Amino acid sequence: MNRIAIKVTGAQGQGVNVVGEVLSKALKRMGYCVFMYREYMSLIKGGHSSAQIDVSAEPIASSQAGVDILACFNHHGLEQNLGDVKQNGIVLHQSADWKWTSEQKRLIKKMNMTVVLLPVEETLAELKAKPILGNMLLTAATWALLGCDPERLKELAREQFGKKGEAVVAQNLACIDCGVRVAQQNANGASIKLPRADAQWSEQLLLTGSQAMGFGLIHGGCRMYVGYPMTPSSPLLTFMADMQNEAGLVIKQAEDEITAAQMMSGAMLMGTRAATGTSGGGFDLMTETVSLNGIIENPSLFVLAQRPGPATGLPTWTGQGDLLLAVGSSHGEFSRVVLSVSDSDDAFHLMPQAFNLAEQYQTPVIVMTDKQIAEALYTQAPYDENHTVLQRGKLITDPEVLKTLKGTDRYDSSSPDGVSARWLPGADAATFCSQGDEHSADGTVDETAANSDAQQAKRMRKLQTIRDALPQPQLYSVNDGEQLDLLIVGWGSTKGPVLDALRSLQNSEKTKHLKIGYLHYTYLWPLKTEFLEMLSKKSRRTLLIEGNRLGQLGMLIRMQCGLDIKRKLLKYDGRPFFVNEIEDFLHAVLLGKKVIKKHPTVHYSLFSKS
Amino acid sequence: MTLIPLSTTGSPTMESYHCATRCTWCDGCGDYGIWTATKRALTELEIAPSQVLLCYDVGCHGNGSDKLLGYRFHGLHGRVIPFAAGAKLANPKLPVIAFGGDGASFSEGVGHLVHGIRSNYPITFVLHNNANYGLTTGQASSLTWQGQKMNSSPNGMPEHTINSMDFIFSLEPTFVARSFSGNIAQMTRVLKAAIQHRGFAFVDMLQACPTYNKFATHDYLLERCYDVNSEGTHDTTDFQKARALAQPNGERIATGILYQNVEVPNFYERLVPRQNRQTSATEEVAITSVKDWLENYR
Repeated sequence: MNRIAIKVTGAQGQGVNVVGEVLSKALKRMGYCVFMYREYMSLIKGGHSSAQIDVSAEPIASSQAGVDILACFNHHGLEQNLGDVKQNGIVLHQSADWKWTSEQKRLIKKMNMTVVLLPVEETLAELKAKPILGNMLLTAATWALLGCDPERLKELAREQFGKKGEAVVAQNLACIDCGVRVAQQNANGASIKLPRADAQWSEQLLLTGSQAMGFGLIHGGCRMYVGYPMTPSSPLLTFMADMQNEAGLVIKQAEDEITAAQMMSGAMLMGTRAATGTSGGGFDLMTETVSLNGIIENPSLFVLAQRPGPATGLPTWTGQGDLLLAVGSSHGEFSRVVLSVSDSDDAFHLMPQAFNLAEQYQTPVIVMTDKQIAEALYTQAPYDENHTVLQRGKLITDPEVLKTLKGTDRYDSSSPDGVSARWLPGADAATFCSQGDEHSADGTVDETAANSDAQQAKRMRKLQTIRDALPQPQLYSVNDGEQLDLLIVGWGSTKGPVLDALRSLQNSEKTKHLKIGYLHYTYLWPLKTEFLEMLSKKSRRTLLIEGNRLGQLGMLIRMQCGLDIKRKLLKYDGRPFFVNEIEDFLHAVLLGKKVIKKHPTVHYSLFSKS
Repeated sequence: MTLIPLSTTGSPTMESYHCATRCTWCDGCGDYGIWTATKRALTELEIAPSQVLLCYDVGCHGNGSDKLLGYRFHGLHGRVIPFAAGAKLANPKLPVIAFGGDGASFSEGVGHLVHGIRSNYPITFVLHNNANYGLTTGQASSLTWQGQKMNSSPNGMPEHTINSMDFIFSLEPTFVARSFSGNIAQMTRVLKAAIQHRGFAFVDMLQACPTYNKFATHDYLLERCYDVNSEGTHDTTDFQKARALAQPNGERIATGILYQNVEVPNFYERLVPRQNRQTSATEEVAITSVKDWLENYR
């Protein structure tokens, strides 16, 4: 697949994200699918951070290990990321006094890199421009190294800075001219050739998974959001808070995650659509409330944005280590739904669906995401809003019907599907108690054996009802056929690099004939395995791929149906899967090659033992 | 938009709140009085059972959640305030009253009490203050008198007692009242004022626990409580005076409405996006187009 990558590095607070975002937007408008991945540390200033932009005219939703242009704000990029630069790549830096070590020199020579100096401070002094404009210089220099037309970048600058007045625009345009000129002078004709653009991308959206999720919540009727800051759920809180005035939302930054979960639950009991979001540690605090919503049969929505634990772990990195937490959280047995978004597309579309499931089954819904999805920038086709429906299940608002209700209809245990009538406090109807103790049909405490048995059975019947209603996992296949050469099973953000790797395999002579399926699990609890079992029977090999150490989806599958997926590709170093890591392992698995040692933190095992 | 037909049921009576479930409190428990005064206050305010949300924490008082009618919620220990606040913000048209004990409110969930007062949510919070954990058979709470021998403190509670009222006043509350479970008329008056208060109303209900509280008994409270509103000329807008009156002095206990400030907007009133909105978040649930906003992301 024809794709290139640019990595911008610098200290946190220097403008790495700004440069990355401007480049991404400009490239998207040129007609490219871009995917931007952020790496940074849990601190405010200093540290070492990067924004990597992968660019292609074909659909991509992953990063590659290895970049064509390394654009550095400071020398740390030269020290830490030189090894990331590919053959014939370009290093753009601002450290005029930098002394290369002999090892670095060897690497530069071996990889045939072009080193381009951008003397930012001098250039800014010449232009009498403020330090902040160093961002635009670096952006323009990178733009020039891609051989792109400076006019396109200027259009974007005019649009972005127009509000700040002509003087600011003029300074930015001068920086663009200057950055382009200096880069061209110092590059000795070197450049990175972009693939041929495809106009379909230029009108698409560019947004993060958190923004997509926030829009999805609002689209789905969310009127209230309560959260407590914790990476990587904070961007969602920030987004919802920033949208409050335009969308008229009730927003509360709570004093802790327990409060956030309780406030969301109270709001849902009253009949609005409210959500809360947190990460693993905060979710641990919310779990008692998840259980409460189980027994009072209250629709509730928890966003669980994963980062690697245990404890504070790797606060600003990604992982998929909380699946069993979501499925097994809270004391007692009750029905729940766990689903996971995988990119900016389903981060939007699954949110109205999550609310619908919560209301239809009157039960907690946990929506999983992770740092990779939350903060990566996706190129996204405009959302189709026409198929979104509001489904509120057995919610009764008709005044005539309300008058006929008895308090004992609320938790009527005879309901065949486990779901009973629901009406809202304030409605002109018989009242009930949403009772956290075991209760009879109107919420009166009732500890008798017969009642406990009936109510527990009622609530658990919903699990089967939900299972019947949920779709099977989705199959993405390359070369359909009776027998698959390989079936890959995964969930969450690994979908992006897996699908990108499959497209790449399809383009390669050696592998294009192979029949490969990727089975993606969106709905993780209750877990449906029939389709998987059928596919796995007709597949020569089945491979589990997950961003955790235990292969947690594999454990759930085995628990559910006994199928033991022995081949596993696991990664738990805080980084997402990079597309070429998956490609390399797929080549090895499919072509019977020895598994390469190139990726020391990607673990391939052929054994079921965890 | 989902319109919730709010109840228009005519004038309720005490009977409207009657529920057949038998009370399970000990003889002489202060919960009987608070339970009665709550029904009476609601009745006198002409609030029907279907027009109110009553939220109960876990403890002896919480066992009252099924001893009256009304839309009710009985949740987790220590967490009643945020649940009630969330409910109120979703539908501010409904009065929301939260009940919690001294164990839940000054130990497990003390943070929620702090932020409930600080946020000035438009809800009423009734503290069932019997100065111990009754339901778990008489352990010391942080409001138990220091030195008292309690279940799990056989040598007497070693920690000092929290000065609960001074703590409450330090949080700049907008409504503070205190009453006694033996005085139904006063409790009714105090609860009515609390329910009608603009923001967060804190009501300290001193209550007898005949089984486990052998220090602040019904008689002890009866002898010492006096009503600041009927006696003398207490100005309920005088913060410093109210704070001083609320201090324990071992002799007399000031009850009644100690402090009220109606000038401070409540949390909901401070929400910029909710200004001049006639609908509640509950009524606004609908599939909403976000297309126009997404134009900024091209």
